[in-house]
Amino acid sequence: MGQKIPSFLDSAVKYGALAASISVVGIFFFLFLTLFSNSIPSITLNGIDLLLGRVWNPNGGAFGGLPAILGTLFSSLFSLGLALPLSMSISIYYTEYAPTRIRSIISTVMDLLAAIPSVIYGIWGLWTISPLLKTNVEEPIAATIGFIPIFSGPAYGLSIFLASLVLTIMITPIISSLSIEIFSRTPMHLREGMFALGATRWEVCRKVVIPFAKRGVIAAAILGLGRALGETMAVTMVIGNSYIWPFSSVSIFSPAHTITSKVASEFPESVSNAIQFSSLTELALVLLVISLSINLGADLLLKRVKGGG
Amino acid sequence: MDSRKAKELLVRAVTTFVSLSVAIPLLWIVADVVIKGLPAINFEFFTSLPAPFGETGGGVANAVLGTLVINAMSSLIGIPLGVLTGIYQSEYSGEKRIYSLIRTSIDSLAGVPSIILGLFAFTIIVMRVGHYTALAAAFALALIMIPPVSKATEEGMRSVPIEIREAAIALGLPKWVITLKVVFSIAKGSVITGSLLSFARISGETAPLLFTSLFSYYWPAGINEPMASLQVLIYNYAMSGFGEWVTKAWGASLLLLLIVLMINTLVRAVSKNKGGY
Amino acid sequence: MYHKLEVKNLSAWFNEKQVLKDVSISFPSNNVTAIIGPSGCGKTTFIRCLNRMHELVPGARVQGKVLLDGRDVYRDMDAMEVRRKVGMVFQKPNPFPNMSIFENVVAGLKLLGVRDKKVLSERVESKLKEVGLWEEVKDDLRKSGAMLSGGQQQRLCIARALAVDPEVLLMDEPTSSLDPASTAKIESLIRELKEKTTIVIITHNVQQAARISDFTGFLYLGSLVEFGETKKIFESPKNPLTERYVTGRFG
Repeated sequence: MGQKIPSFLDSAVKYGALAASISVVGIFFFLFLTLFSNSIPSITLNGIDLLLGRVWNPNGGAFGGLPAILGTLFSSLFSLGLALPLSMSISIYYTEYAPTRIRSIISTVMDLLAAIPSVIYGIWGLWTISPLLKTNVEEPIAATIGFIPIFSGPAYGLSIFLASLVLTIMITPIISSLSIEIFSRTPMHLREGMFALGATRWEVCRKVVIPFAKRGVIAAAILGLGRALGETMAVTMVIGNSYIWPFSSVSIFSPAHTITSKVASEFPESVSNAIQFSSLTELALVLLVISLSINLGADLLLKRVKGGG
Repeated sequence: MDSRKAKELLVRAVTTFVSLSVAIPLLWIVADVVIKGLPAINFEFFTSLPAPFGETGGGVANAVLGTLVINAMSSLIGIPLGVLTGIYQSEYSGEKRIYSLIRTSIDSLAGVPSIILGLFAFTIIVMRVGHYTALAAAFALALIMIPPVSKATEEGMRSVPIEIREAAIALGLPKWVITLKVVFSIAKGSVITGSLLSFARISGETAPLLFTSLFSYYWPAGINEPMASLQVLIYNYAMSGFGEWVTKAWGASLLLLLIVLMINTLVRAVSKNKGGY
Repeated sequence: MYHKLEVKNLSAWFNEKQVLKDVSISFPSNNVTAIIGPSGCGKTTFIRCLNRMHELVPGARVQGKVLLDGRDVYRDMDAMEVRRKVGMVFQKPNPFPNMSIFENVVAGLKLLGVRDKKVLSERVESKLKEVGLWEEVKDDLRKSGAMLSGGQQQRLCIARALAVDPEVLLMDEPTSSLDPASTAKIESLIRELKEKTTIVIITHNVQQAARISDFTGFLYLGSLVEFGETKKIFESPKNPLTERYVTGRFG
């Protein structure tokens, strides 16, 4: 029947879809551009001080973002450090020991935890966990081993410690779900080969499943890290929004800031202060660059795992 | 043999304990939201506007309406863009570089913290227009919806067996008919699932709203005005420290949680019946 | 005639579906016993019940007795011990890809806690020689097993199974995915191995069964139709079904 001349509708659909795709690509690059251009006043005026400065005083013209940057890094890495062993335990249990019915319960629990809006994690962290953590965990610790600076009192209630714990609960489901998927992909014949030699379930897991899943789990961890870095509401509501940590007090029971909490909490007042607004924008840009690099890294790793394995 | 068995038992015990413990935060949060939120729920809660700070009474009606309006606007922008992009990636983007470019952009967009999307919307819309506006919120939330909807569409369409496409071609159907009426309608389930989940997702997004729709103590005045939303209400009220408001925040949380969890459970139940997604 | 492994009234299910019906076979020591039968007759399920691999599948159920040296494999022993004593070689060669050739051979030994490098090296050499792979890989022991050909991989897996000195070796269609040359090598290896071990081999290739086995059991639709000396099964089978199968008239 030979080549048909593309009808008008064919072109309409094709170019309509293309236009949508191009606009999405365009929006993404425009986002970068916009943030960057709005950061320029801050870049020129603040220079390296935005990244390394310790004092943030809009009225005095000082815009040091280091405490916030450190806050972001510390809380994210801390929560990853807790979430990773938790997620690994869950994945191991799911693939090696859990009966089928319990497996679906675990899946559902993970999905639901991931679906809870972060502002609800925030209100729960703020009004339920914070007082409990303060009296039952932070104060006793400060009273006993408080001579170690990072555990020293006073325990304010809202702290970087609390924020890290809430983040842990938020990112564990993400890492677990992905890890479970990756563990489950271990070829049956390899697991059976190890079983046939008389291995226990844990030995099969340790010697066959985990080496097979290693790369994918790292990618899952990085994804979880990315999520922790960008988390705003829950963190802002429980971290105390203050520059006390880490330079006035290194204790994890002190209030602190992350980049997201800084931008979220100070944004309202910055609309009337151009350089403050630009500085916050630059901080946001820093966060964006970190997040994107991390997400792209995870994507590359995952692609190699899914393709080759 | 004994130490091996001991290790096995230990690993089993620890992993079991950890796994079953994960249910605790879930149950705790849900229980808390229900227990602390129920006292706030009454007829007035659903139908009245907020009372001024310091006064009792009032409701969250405008916030409920606001969330629905904002979500609807976001969906109107985000879902079509996501679907069209997914269609393009699945059916039309032949050249590898174009495909990769679009794919990377979408994946990167998905990795942008939502607060930054809010800042972006503020910069290009709110600053231009000169005041806070729900339209900017719709834009920011649409950007959050596009990646998952696009992915669901693309994957749904790609999974349509090649035999069906070939049969359609052999029948002499034009490409646009094959794409939309054959492949897309088969992929419809996946698209609907992705869209519903995105809808639930943006219902929980708060950070972008702080920069765009902000808040309001009145009924939505128009889509180009600030607008109340459940999420921002929860944030503002919870942080206020005022007991009456904190209780209302819990009540609003209960509402929001119900909406989000219901959509998620519904979607999962439906897609399990159809054989998963 | 001493029977190393005895199976009495073995039945097996996958959930509701019954795959094995009341099978009873006694395996003579230091002999090769072949289990033949058409696809789906339950042969693989059968041998997987002998080393308790069947129970790894969710919904799997077993009834009956499997006795190793008189001990009930299900009730008197634990699964790990059974699998150490009753080794298995699979249809598709499955060397562990994250381990070198050396590590593959000693994988089972390491589980048993053997750490002495000298002992491990000696084992590797002796087992690889036993399966006729030593000359081919002796300079590449630290390299991954994935580089080997199918036939070499399978011999590696046999060496791995032999390294823990199993008393019985189960082989599930070990040559079905290999070329004729590799098949011949493994068949002659099997004839040598039976001096030290009792071998149970599943094969869908009746000529192979005739070539290498001393005893043969014919399974059909989950039931044992006939069992006896291979010569008798092939030359003068008692059951007409057996006769039709071994002469190639079905399956």
